[in-house]
This record gives sequence, structure tokens and C-alpha cells, in this order.
Amino acid sequence: MNYFVKGNPDLCIGCRTCMIGCVVAHEGKHIFEVDPDSYDFNPRLHVVRTVRLSVPVQCKHCENPACMAVCPVGAISQKDHCVIIDQDKCMGCKSCMDACPFGAINMTERKGHIQADETLKKTANKCDLCYGLPGGPACVRVCPTEALALITEEDLETAMERKRAETARNTFKENHPQE
Amino acid sequence: MSMGIPEIEDAGCLLCFGYNGADSHPIVARRIVRGRQKGMKIICADPRVTETARISDIHLQLKGGSNLALVNAMANVIWKEGLADTKFIEEHTKGFEEFLKVIEKYTPEYAEPITHIPAETIRKAARMYATTKPAMILYGMGVCQFTQAVDVVKGLANLALMTGNFGGPAMGIGPVRGQNNVQGACDMGALPNSYPGYQNVTDPEARAKFEKAWGVSLPSEIGCPITHVPHRILHEKDEKKRIHAYYIFGEDPAQSDPDLAEVREALDKCDFVVMQDIYMNKTGLYADVILPAAAWGENEGIYTCADRGFQRVRKLIEPEGDVKPDWQIIAEISTAMGYPMNYKNTEEIWNEMIDLCPSFKGATYEKIEKYGCVQWPCRDKSMEDKGTPYLHKDGIFGTKDHKALFYGTDWHPPVELENDQYPMTLSTVREVGHYSVRTMTGNCRTLRNLEDEPGWVQMNTGDCERMGLKKGELVKILSKRGYCITRCLPTDRVEPGATYMTYQWWVGACNELTTAKLDPISNTPEYKYCACRVEKIEDQEWAERHVMELYDDIRAQMGIDTGKGAKA
Amino acid sequence: MALKQVQTTCPYCGAGCQIMFTVDSDANKIVEAVPAKGRTNDGTLCLKGHYGWDYLNDPQILTKRLRKPMIRKGGKKAPLQEVSWQEAISYVAKRLGEIKEKYGPDSIMGTGSARGAGNEANYLMQKFMRACIGTNNVDHCARI
Repeated sequence: MNYFVKGNPDLCIGCRTCMIGCVVAHEGKHIFEVDPDSYDFNPRLHVVRTVRLSVPVQCKHCENPACMAVCPVGAISQKDHCVIIDQDKCMGCKSCMDACPFGAINMTERKGHIQADETLKKTANKCDLCYGLPGGPACVRVCPTEALALITEEDLETAMERKRAETARNTFKENHPQE
Repeated sequence: MSMGIPEIEDAGCLLCFGYNGADSHPIVARRIVRGRQKGMKIICADPRVTETARISDIHLQLKGGSNLALVNAMANVIWKEGLADTKFIEEHTKGFEEFLKVIEKYTPEYAEPITHIPAETIRKAARMYATTKPAMILYGMGVCQFTQAVDVVKGLANLALMTGNFGGPAMGIGPVRGQNNVQGACDMGALPNSYPGYQNVTDPEARAKFEKAWGVSLPSEIGCPITHVPHRILHEKDEKKRIHAYYIFGEDPAQSDPDLAEVREALDKCDFVVMQDIYMNKTGLYADVILPAAAWGENEGIYTCADRGFQRVRKLIEPEGDVKPDWQIIAEISTAMGYPMNYKNTEEIWNEMIDLCPSFKGATYEKIEKYGCVQWPCRDKSMEDKGTPYLHKDGIFGTKDHKALFYGTDWHPPVELENDQYPMTLSTVREVGHYSVRTMTGNCRTLRNLEDEPGWVQMNTGDCERMGLKKGELVKILSKRGYCITRCLPTDRVEPGATYMTYQWWVGACNELTTAKLDPISNTPEYKYCACRVEKIEDQEWAERHVMELYDDIRAQMGIDTGKGAKA
Repeated sequence: MALKQVQTTCPYCGAGCQIMFTVDSDANKIVEAVPAKGRTNDGTLCLKGHYGWDYLNDPQILTKRLRKPMIRKGGKKAPLQEVSWQEAISYVAKRLGEIKEKYGPDSIMGTGSARGAGNEANYLMQKFMRACIGTNNVDHCARI
């Protein structure tokens, strides 16, 4: 089963440390020594603030990803519990962005890559669970309020077990209110 | 703060008043969130839906500028409904009878039209605060940056006193200080009325002690508060009182102070302006002399954090260029003026200071190194005295008779109200990723990438729709003092008619608009309330170009090569 | 590469967070910043604490780092000229001395700093204003 990062709006304070953490993880520490316009500042998750909610939103790493199904060039694949976009293969058709029901994919410019109209190449961008990077998802590590968590298959199983037990207890209580 | 930051999460009830920790102190906001998870009740008084308001039990979304009416109404309910701690009031306080006379008329029904909060909601909040123990109050600039500020601080203290919420952990009242060392600058006596350690300049005994230690006679008259400086330069008739020289150290009044046009005129008219700083800034454009200092990370010392904790700052790297630590520059000027100051390092200065301040006397470098943090008061140098996590233990206060004093005052409205020409209100707020005037964070790559000029004006979505404004559109915002250009951010977290801007931008400089009217006691300006108007800009392409040009121009003035030839 | 670990207090808000820096002392630069287990921050940092230190390498983004003392020799509208420390210090001392002589000590205002400078520098600044200049005209941006 694929993993995913889940935000908790009860803990999120909307500070966006996760968004910078994401950029630093993907671009590398050298960015603290170069011109800020020379690297890509493309966070792969976005803090959403409505009237009563603040929470980062990112890819859910679906088991049957709509984005993957619609990609005409096979730039999206599933490996090691996550859904990944190969930005070199991506032709920028926006089909995945359109297909994703969660708004988890956006189109971003890539510095140093030029497209046909001589502007910077625009490709699909989304959470890759920090694939191949040490330490797991950076957003989870840097969040000051522990509002983000990596959910694995085991976590889901544990949660299901807990919920089932709760259901059983509630059912039992309903039948025997004096207990 | 009377309490320590870690205690926040253990409060039974938190009254969070005009304090938006999520933007100003995320790591304090973390304690609020953790408290919530542990079952802490939260009452949040704020005109905006802040992150704390979002997770609160009761959000008192009051009309800006009505703070004291709400606080007095809560006191009224607590008394009328018999929820006050009469034993604590009797044993530990004075002035309660006089206070009752003031709050008598502040029934929730009286406060409702002023605060725009239903009377029943005020009652519910007062009951929750008074009946959940321990109850803590945190407040911020939403209390302090009004012309009626000190009265509200006292009003909040009244609530804590009348419910007996002093003397133990996780209770009391805490101003969460904004800057890394604003507590420290106060501790060290960078104040016109007090020597280091809060010893009053008008107290002959204190003065005699410092005269003896420093070997000179000292003035007894209270000095000039910083917010009076423009007036004292431009309008003071008495030549002996007019400010002719201004030695500005680690501040940028030409960006951070209200009514910037007046500040610029003052700096321009002042005979001699010395600026001592790490980066070129707007004040530097008016400075006669610039003294380059070593920055945080390049020197040693001690900061005091918001909850009175002394902590070490250490040198990380060697400064480049011809710069000196701040203390050394000051010592050299003093020596050159015939008052020699010879210190080998910061510890020598610290040792001189603590021996003059009973509350800090025990906080030696050795102890701070060993424990990591020492919260004052720390009176004894022995390693057993580890400082004081919370103040007023067992309800014993720092007054002569150890009793706290109730202090009641009537509410009054802000100075500059909405009118036909300027129908909306402006309040200044904080941007979480930038600090102060942003000479540091604006030079940090990722923080600049996250938020940059010209910033945002937060406006109610209904107001935006009415004016035909979309998210990200550039707008002009004006008050009778000036104007600036910024981007529109429609949000239902703010009420109709209100606008909010952060103060660190140059192009979107909201302090062009703010008023320099002051609280009579604290001399803090009314940054949280002035009348303004928002105008749509039809030609957005022009506006985008104009903002970039303004930005490049100022950067060039600050010595940056913007590709168009630096002007400095 | 000589790496060392140095713990210090964050220069931003009043929360007093502790940060552990890895410093390359040969290259005189910061390599990494991670949260330290401070009393108030408990091993966490916000975005400014995590990513707010690279201004130290003078990136020329917003404003230029001040590296040399400067004097505006031809009055307010004149350009700033770089001078030696000796010249800068004696010029400031002379001008402040003249103004004190002519108008008295209360015609001079000084500020402390609530920001990077630290407690010791603030102590000296107020001592300088009170003992050397002879005025209580010293304040800082706490009210602002």
C-alpha cells in the first residue's frame, strides 16, 4: 500500500515551515549560499487557510492514481509506496493536474530547463514523500507543532483495529447500558 | 511574563487576548496547541480569526479598539455572579472597592454595542475564565498598541487578581514580548525611567548606588521616550530640550515607527545622526555617521527571552570586514569622550551589571552556561538558586506591603475613527516568516522566496467583491498621512470594514499610514487602529512595473547592485 | 574541513529557542542548523529558526552588509565615505561633545537595541548615555 503525509488542522498553526522544509530537502543545502532566484522554490505541499481551517494539503498517493492514468507519456509511476512524477519526462500537458481531485498537483517552472517557446520549462509538481532523500518526509521533521505525520500501512492497520474495537465497545454498551 | 513558556500547556483555561502567537511566536503557539490537546479551555479575544481563535472554545471577535469595555464587562460578570475569589482579594490585594465602582456600569449589555459581542457570549467567557483553574492570560500587541493600552493591561491583571490566578504555576498574566531581546533591553535599563534591574532613576537611593559605582553624578529627571523624538526634534522650543543628536543603535525608526513622513523629516532636521547597525537600512539614508557592528552569530553575549530567561548567544563565525561588537564600539566612543570604559569581554560587563541589580545578582555566566537558562529573579550566586519559573509565589507581590493593587479605568475609543473619506480601519500585524524591519530575514533566501514585496492587505471577501478586487491584485491604501501599494488578500478571517497589513515592507509600507498618537503612560503608538481607504488600481500592468521599480530603487539605495547601477 | 557544534539562542522572536549549529571553521561558514533541546523550544523551531541564518554570508538580496565605518562628510545630502575606525570614533566623540557643550546633555538621545546586540551592549549604551553624556534620554523599540 502507498504511504502518505497527513496534516492535522487541530495542530497546524499555518506557519508554512513545512513548505520551506520541502524546498530545502529537494533543492539541497547549497541554496543557502546562492542567489535566491537561481534555484526552484516550488513547495510540493501547500498550507490552506479557510475561515476555520489551517492545514497543509498534498498528494494522497492514491492506489489507483487518476494522474497516472491520464498521463500520456508515462511520466507518473508508483514505486516504494509512493506515486512519483518524472519531471524530465513530463511534457507539461496539465492532464494530471486536471485529473487530480485534491488539487495536489501544480505546474511549476524549472530553472535551467528551457521549453519550445524559450521560456522556462513548466512541469507537473507534487509531493514525492521525499523519495530517495534521507530521513523521510522533510515536512514531517520540521513542523514545529507535529501537525504532519507519515501514514504507513501499519499505521492504517493499527487505526483500523482501534476503530473496530471502539465500534465493538459501543455496540456492547448500547445493548447493556448498565455496564 | 509572570509564568514560564513551558507552563502554558498546563493551564486549565487560557484567555488569549490580542495575541496571535502563530504569527509572532510559533514556538509559543505550539504550547497553546499542546495545551488544547491536553484539554485546556481557550477563550480568544481577537478581531480576526487567528489560529488560536480557530481552536478556541469561545472566540470573542471584538470590534478593534474596544478592549477595555470587554475586559471590564468580564470583571463585572465575575463579580455579579459571585465567581470572584474573595479570600484572595482580601488577603493579597488592595483597592477592590474603588475598582467595583468603575466596573459597575460595564454590564454585558452595556458592552455589547461597543464590542460587537453578544452579552450572553461575554457572560459565558467570564464564567469559563473564572471557574476553570488554573487560568492564564496571554496578551500581545493587540493590547499594547492602542492609545488605551496600559489601562487594558491593568484590566487583565484585575481579572487574574479577582479570580486568585496568581501565585502558582500555569496561571497569571503574560505579555509575550515580540523581539528576541526586548525583555533584555528593558532588563538592562535601556529605558528613560529606570536603571538596570528596574531601579528607578527618580529613586535617590538607587541613583546614589549607580553614582557610586560609575563614579559620576547622575541626572534625576526621567528621559525622553523614543516615540517623543520626532516631536522633540521638530517642535521643541526649549533649546536645552530639543534633540540635536540621535545615536541610533540596532533600530530602524525610518521603517518601524509610525507616521514615517514625520520620522523622515525629523531625521533630516536632526543635527547629528549616528547609526550603529549590521545592514544598511532606511535610517542609514539620514545618518551622518554609520558604525558597522558584528551581527548575531558573530559575537558573544546574553539575551533575555520573553519569560525572563537569561540564555547565552555564542559566536558561530568570524565577522568579515572592518566591524566590531556593539559593546566595543560604545566603549570606545565613551573612552574618547573622556569617560573610560575598559572591558575585555562581555562577561566583565555582565559581572559589573549583576552586582548592581539584586534581581539578577545570582545569574552568573557560569550558572547560565551550566543550566542553559536562568529565569530572573535569581538573587543568590550559589548554584542552588536556579532562578524563578513563575512570579508572585503564594500571592506575594513586589510592592512594599506585598499586596497587589486593583486599578479600574473607563474605556475610551481609539483616536482616529472611520469617516466618510477614510471609511475603513487599518491595524498592523506580523508576517510569520519575517522579523521586525526584515534587514535580517529579508536577506535570508528561502524566507524571501516565501514572502516578498509588496506584502498583502487582508480584507473581508465581501468588501473585496464590492470593490471588484481579486486575490493578488495590487491596490492603493491611503490614510490622511500617506499611502502605499500592496496586494489584496480576500479572507473571511477578518471582519467587514477592517484591514490588516504587516509592517516590514518598503513598498507596502503600512507605517506611511499609521498614526503617531500614543498611550499616555507607555508611549506606545496606536498601530492597531487608524482610518484608511482602499482604492482599486485599474492599470495592473503599470502597477506591477511601478512596484518593481520602487523596490529596485530602494534596494539600490541600500547598496545592492540591481543591474541598473547602484545609487548609494 | 574542521567542523564544530555550537549551541546558541535564536535571534528572532522572544521565545528564546535554542539552535545547534554545525560550523565549518576553516571555511568560516555555517553548514547546518537543527533544533536543540532548549527549555522553551523543546527540540522544535519555526521557519525563522530553521532557515533564518543565511543572511550572515551577505547575500546582497535586500540590503548591503555594513563592513566599514562611514561618514557623510559634506552634510546630509552628501554621499557616505568610508573612513577608519579611529576617524569615525573621534568624529562621533567630537560632535557629541560639541552638542553637549552647546545645548546640554538632554539634547542628545540614544537608543538601546531589542534585537541582535545583546544585554551587555544595552547595559553599556545606557551607562554611556547616563554616565558619560549625563542624560536619561535612552530608550528602545519596546514601545514600537
